[in-house]
Amino acid sequence: MTSSKLTIVRIHNELMGTYGDRGNADVLAYRARLRDIKVELIDISYLEDLPSSADIYLLGGAEDFAQVLSAQALIASPLKQVAERGAIVLAVCAGFQIIGNTFSANAQSHAGIGLIDVDSRAPQGPHPVRSVGEVRAYSQAIGVELTGFENHAGHTLLGDGVESLGVIKSGFGNGDAIHEGAVVGNIFGTYLHGPVLARNPEFADLLLERATGTNLPQLEASENELAATYAQWRRSAS
Amino acid sequence: MYSPRLALATTVARVASWALRTVLHRNGETLPGHILLAIDSAALAKLSLGKKIILISGTNGKTSTTRTLAALMTQVPGAGKIATSKTGSNLRKGVAYALVGSETYAVLEVDELWLPIVIKEVNPAVVVLLNISRDQQHRTHEVKRIADKWREAALASDALFIGNIDDPFVNYILTAAKNSRRIAYEGGIGRHPDAAACPACGKYLHWKDGDYLCSCGLTNTLFDESYAHQGAVSRNTIIANVVAEIFGAPWNEVIASTFERKTLRTVMGRSLVLRLAKNPASMAEVLDSMKGDLILLVINSQGVDGLDVSWLWDVSFESLRGKQVVSTGERGLDLAYRLQVAGIECEFIKTIDQAITSFDPGSTIEVLASYSAFVKMETL
Repeated sequence: MTSSKLTIVRIHNELMGTYGDRGNADVLAYRARLRDIKVELIDISYLEDLPSSADIYLLGGAEDFAQVLSAQALIASPLKQVAERGAIVLAVCAGFQIIGNTFSANAQSHAGIGLIDVDSRAPQGPHPVRSVGEVRAYSQAIGVELTGFENHAGHTLLGDGVESLGVIKSGFGNGDAIHEGAVVGNIFGTYLHGPVLARNPEFADLLLERATGTNLPQLEASENELAATYAQWRRSAS
Repeated sequence: MYSPRLALATTVARVASWALRTVLHRNGETLPGHILLAIDSAALAKLSLGKKIILISGTNGKTSTTRTLAALMTQVPGAGKIATSKTGSNLRKGVAYALVGSETYAVLEVDELWLPIVIKEVNPAVVVLLNISRDQQHRTHEVKRIADKWREAALASDALFIGNIDDPFVNYILTAAKNSRRIAYEGGIGRHPDAAACPACGKYLHWKDGDYLCSCGLTNTLFDESYAHQGAVSRNTIIANVVAEIFGAPWNEVIASTFERKTLRTVMGRSLVLRLAKNPASMAEVLDSMKGDLILLVINSQGVDGLDVSWLWDVSFESLRGKQVVSTGERGLDLAYRLQVAGIECEFIKTIDQAITSFDPGSTIEVLASYSAFVKMETL
């Protein structure tokens, strides 16, 4: 954390907010405040400049036109330098695709922001299948089974040295039904909606710990009860 | 043109419908429609010959607009009975069964994904496009995908397309139609949450309140006609009147309230004001129109509701702050956590009966229900 408060930036939600992923920022702010951490949550629209000094940057899912606009604006923004200095980035679905080298939209390949070495492309074959449905994936990095809902056409290939965020137990994830998402340092990509941090509070807490550089105090059972019940229920139901 | 196959299909389907309704007390349109098309796959095209058909589609307001228009059309001189689906059965099979009679006019709601296919088969006189926004995304995938399918259908059709161009997706489709009436509402209907990018050209769409103007030319500031409105129900009434007037019916706006999807029921000593809230747009609309302080939200995730409920995070529930809020349904827990994060008190109660009885006897409860819950509670 660079100052006495935690700064969270929700990037281009009007474009990259098609699947409830705005909730990731809300969950982070909520769980930080339960630990008496001061939080500033900033929404940055496509028309505004991206601040470079925040602690956590969030991107959500989008349809093709919106995804292309957001990628173009972010290539010209300081997001890459921000990620290089170690700020937290969580990018979901179309957001995950644009933080890679290349992605496919409107049946064309586009340049991504290049934060991590992954490439996304349209599924191949005469009857490309869209990946839609509940996902379960065990995440070594977080130490829990993640759940979420995926809904995407693209497949994502991980480059050398890029770990997946989770190993698929059910669902398609990156398209191969083996890998789900990606993690490189503090940069996280995933196909999981839900929002993913609402359905997996351990993931939210990991991001908060990384951002604050401290061990978070345990929550009182009553403060965490609903979140824990909810996460547990989705893990048994998905 | 007599078709023995169609005659057989119609007879079997009618008998099935009669049996379903009178013996089993079930929906008498969907299965008979299925039988009809199984016996004669060309039944839809054959049955539509000689009829003047009006199709209505959109994410929200299909059923109430269809009911309003069907009622208005009875005022067309010489119209007689109007063919329509009584149950909101709006897939190809439901549409087919609604056409088995000898009526001259048919007013039919059609599911968004089936609309292009039905347009091709029935050669409609008029197609009404109400709106498109996020709904059942496991099935529809993307808003733009629906818009592109509709646009392709509009390009190839001779029908008159009537729609509200305050929705940029509807505008994008109407600009492709050979015949169109582009309706705008005074002051617009607010910024479309799924149209930050122009559906026609992909550039960032600049909005000023409810008006938008893209450099490619897509705008709602140039329209064929404009009307004052008071929300979604009034807009649906207006567009139904626009259509009925084409066929000679007198303008009548009073008729609509009867067809709003709002049901009053008394259950276990509590009065329920039951409303359908099935996606971000309809939930926002319903939250906006709610008056009471006792709120029950019933969220399911069947296919008709959408298998995923992430969209709950895109709706502002601020108007519930300080009210007595209870959530239930298959995904009531998702909503309870979503509201906790927003700092809005909400109690999750597992069963619908216990949720209802958690309110005082004699009280009036505002119930907001997703599709499958709404249909079930309509008959509680």
